[in-house]
Amino acid sequence: MTMAAVELNCVTKSFGDVQVIKGVSLAIRKGEFVSLLGPSGCGKTTLLRMIAGLEKVTTGSIIIGGTNSTRLPPERRDIAMVFQSYALLPHLTVRENVMFPLRMRRLGRKDEQQRRVDEVLEMVQLGHLANRRPRELSGGQQQRVAVARAVVSRPQVLLLDEPLSNLDARLRESMQEELIQLHRQTGLTTVFVTHDQEEALSLSDRVVLLNEGRIEQEGAPTDLYSAPATPFSASFMGSSNLLDVQIEAAKGAPCATLAPGSALPLEPGCAAAGPATITFRQEDVQLLPADAEEGILATVETRLFLGSRIRYVITAGAHRFRCLASPGHSFAAGQAIRVRIPPGRIRVIGRTLA
Amino acid sequence: MASHREDWAIAAPGLLLLLLAFLVPVGSILALGVRTEGGEFTPAYVIRFLTEPYYLGISWRTIKLSVVITLVCALVGFPFAYIMARVGPRLRLWLVILITLPLMTSVVVRTFGWMVLLGRGGLVPDIMRSLGLVRRNYTLMHTEVAIVVGMVQILFPFMVLSILGVILRMDPRLEEAARVMGCTFLQSVRRVVLPVATPGIVAGSLLVFTLSASYFITPSLLGGARLPVLAGSIYETATRTQDWPFAAAQSLILFTAVLLLLFPYIRLTRKAGG
Amino acid sequence: MVEAVPTGVRAAAVIFMLLVLAFVLGPLVVVAGVSFTAGDYVTFPPEGLSLRWYRAVLSADVYTHSAITSLRLAALVTLAATVIGTGVAVALHRRRIPGTGFLSALVLSPLVLPTIVFALGLLMLWSSVVGRTSFYSLWLGHTVIAVPYVIRTTLAVLATSDPFLEEAARTMGAGPWRTLFHVTLPQCLPGIAAGGFFAFNISFDEAILSLFLRSPDIMTLPIQIYTQLEFSPDPSIAAASALMIALTIFLIVAIDRLLGIQRVAA
Repeated sequence: MTMAAVELNCVTKSFGDVQVIKGVSLAIRKGEFVSLLGPSGCGKTTLLRMIAGLEKVTTGSIIIGGTNSTRLPPERRDIAMVFQSYALLPHLTVRENVMFPLRMRRLGRKDEQQRRVDEVLEMVQLGHLANRRPRELSGGQQQRVAVARAVVSRPQVLLLDEPLSNLDARLRESMQEELIQLHRQTGLTTVFVTHDQEEALSLSDRVVLLNEGRIEQEGAPTDLYSAPATPFSASFMGSSNLLDVQIEAAKGAPCATLAPGSALPLEPGCAAAGPATITFRQEDVQLLPADAEEGILATVETRLFLGSRIRYVITAGAHRFRCLASPGHSFAAGQAIRVRIPPGRIRVIGRTLA
Repeated sequence: MASHREDWAIAAPGLLLLLLAFLVPVGSILALGVRTEGGEFTPAYVIRFLTEPYYLGISWRTIKLSVVITLVCALVGFPFAYIMARVGPRLRLWLVILITLPLMTSVVVRTFGWMVLLGRGGLVPDIMRSLGLVRRNYTLMHTEVAIVVGMVQILFPFMVLSILGVILRMDPRLEEAARVMGCTFLQSVRRVVLPVATPGIVAGSLLVFTLSASYFITPSLLGGARLPVLAGSIYETATRTQDWPFAAAQSLILFTAVLLLLFPYIRLTRKAGG
Repeated sequence: MVEAVPTGVRAAAVIFMLLVLAFVLGPLVVVAGVSFTAGDYVTFPPEGLSLRWYRAVLSADVYTHSAITSLRLAALVTLAATVIGTGVAVALHRRRIPGTGFLSALVLSPLVLPTIVFALGLLMLWSSVVGRTSFYSLWLGHTVIAVPYVIRTTLAVLATSDPFLEEAARTMGAGPWRTLFHVTLPQCLPGIAAGGFFAFNISFDEAILSLFLRSPDIMTLPIQIYTQLEFSPDPSIAAASALMIALTIFLIVAIDRLLGIQRVAA
């Protein structure tokens, strides 16, 4: 018996003939903050809704806090959820909204409930707005009410369905910080659905990357970021440079050949010879003048000034890739240059099929 | 959330009411129109209605009046709806209330108002007489004009709301674009707004036509006994002559005509609403 | 765009609107005017001003009795139609029972199908199943045509509410029935109120069904006016009619004060 807070065993979900979740197994530890990350249509929200009990599970099982909850209706699962639209009850005040789960779940006596509501409202700094109605609050305040309403019942697991996507950029950043702090204070096991990889990376203990109803890759944020295992992971984690190359094991240290006579050195022992896909991040590409001692020959195709950085599109032989450089040294479009990428920064992610 | 039993439970009273107190009675009256006393199928009543000149006259008058009512509603309703779409939302709301107010008062009340206005010695004949148009003691009561006037008053809001919905959904920049491309104001209304509003006009016309064919208190009070229309004839047949199968056959004909016109109406409004 | 409308067209538009409104509201104004006449005959403009016909109406048993019947009927129809219609609207809005699209068209059909056909059919069925027509046959008939209004207004309100409220309530521990009473129905209130207004108004003003389904000893106010119209119109009809118009306007204003007419008219 593992004591995971939430356990998914080979969960699948079909709508009619279409299978949208194709066998997902996942164990979430107590107190862990897990993000379900993926593009729209990858099944992340469906998976979350299955944990909540809002979607039926086609096959497999879901265990929440040691209770097999696969067939339980949502109200009998020990969960709480924050919806993308917040779903605050418009006819109730902020206090009544936060009180609602305690009333429905009959948790504690009336005065005890009052105390807990006040406590949680203080925690999200909304004590002074307790008697307002949701429509009188700003978007950020509504969001905090939704969070308060979810944590007040101290559920086994807190489910968050893209709760920050309706906020503007600045508010989103401060809400991220608040969410981290809240997670530290409450220690609640949290499942967070998002399509924003930065959000997933900055908030979670563990990121589960979903693609077409399957887990593509899971791991700590740093692992996913620096060691994408598949082309999909690499491109979704913002490593937009994916090159199909030939790996050649010359003199012990392998290198990736982009074109005859131009090869990028790789770390020793990272891949066998043959065709493969390599990936590296834009910011790891170093541009050097054409007369430099090292690096492969390449050409600047376009140059985009972004303020703090400059983005170049580089061509080397038949390959194109992007580079994000600081504005210290500048190259013009059409200029011949040399490119160096530290061997440790290049990932070989499997053989190409082509 | 297994079988949604609670959805069925809360819908059941309404669905049962509709089934037992609406569909079954309507169905049985329609069936009565094509049955002999023994319960066999007979088209005799329907054929009687479709061949006797008196009843053909009634059908013809019903259709003629409905067409005129629909045309008047459309001709007045389009500019009215267009202007409504271009005023502020608060004024628009009150305009909606004002034009639907007659609809929300009792048919007998508003018909009484028309009787006072159109009857002998009423305001309208008086004005017409002082303009030298008619002789003394002229009355508009018991004329087809009176029926059209009384029906347009109540069916007008159906037309206006149906057109208004379409115009409000239209991108107002379409008109600005037309003006920038050299249309005058009236040209832009004719070439841009009118085509956009056409589905609304057609839907409104279908609705007004079917409703005008099925009302009977207004036509029978304003038109009198000498100008019967189909719905009024059903009432007369059922109450005066007590000839229920024949009243049922007339109901069947009215019902079929209404259904035939409602199908395109539903299709149009679905499309416009989607 | 509005700025670019020629002045002439604008003036014509204002005159056009006023003419149409005069046409549409004229008969109601006339009825109100006649009701204040001091003379013995139905004339417009009225001959002098007095409240004598209101006194006549309020002291005449035929009017007060039929008015009480109509009010009682309308109140019961409102009650039945709102309870029944709200349930259907909520179920249809959730779109979980099969054939929802077809059912919606079906439940709204009494709005557009000829009332006379329905009236005839219900009279026939009532006579053969129950027997004599009574207050209850009227209640039934009026409720059937009032329910679609409640369904429509409630559906309209539900369409603008947050679709995740019910699910949110479920995740907070409310079962299906508590969700209905604590979350869904409070959302529906403006729609139910508007539907209730229509239901009351429809029933109070209805004449076609009443002609068929009433029994000889039951007289509703519209039927009372109808028989007087065919018989001998005198200004007391105008006073009774004016009171009916006043009730309708009062209800509209009450709805506006209570809920705000914008929310209801949606």
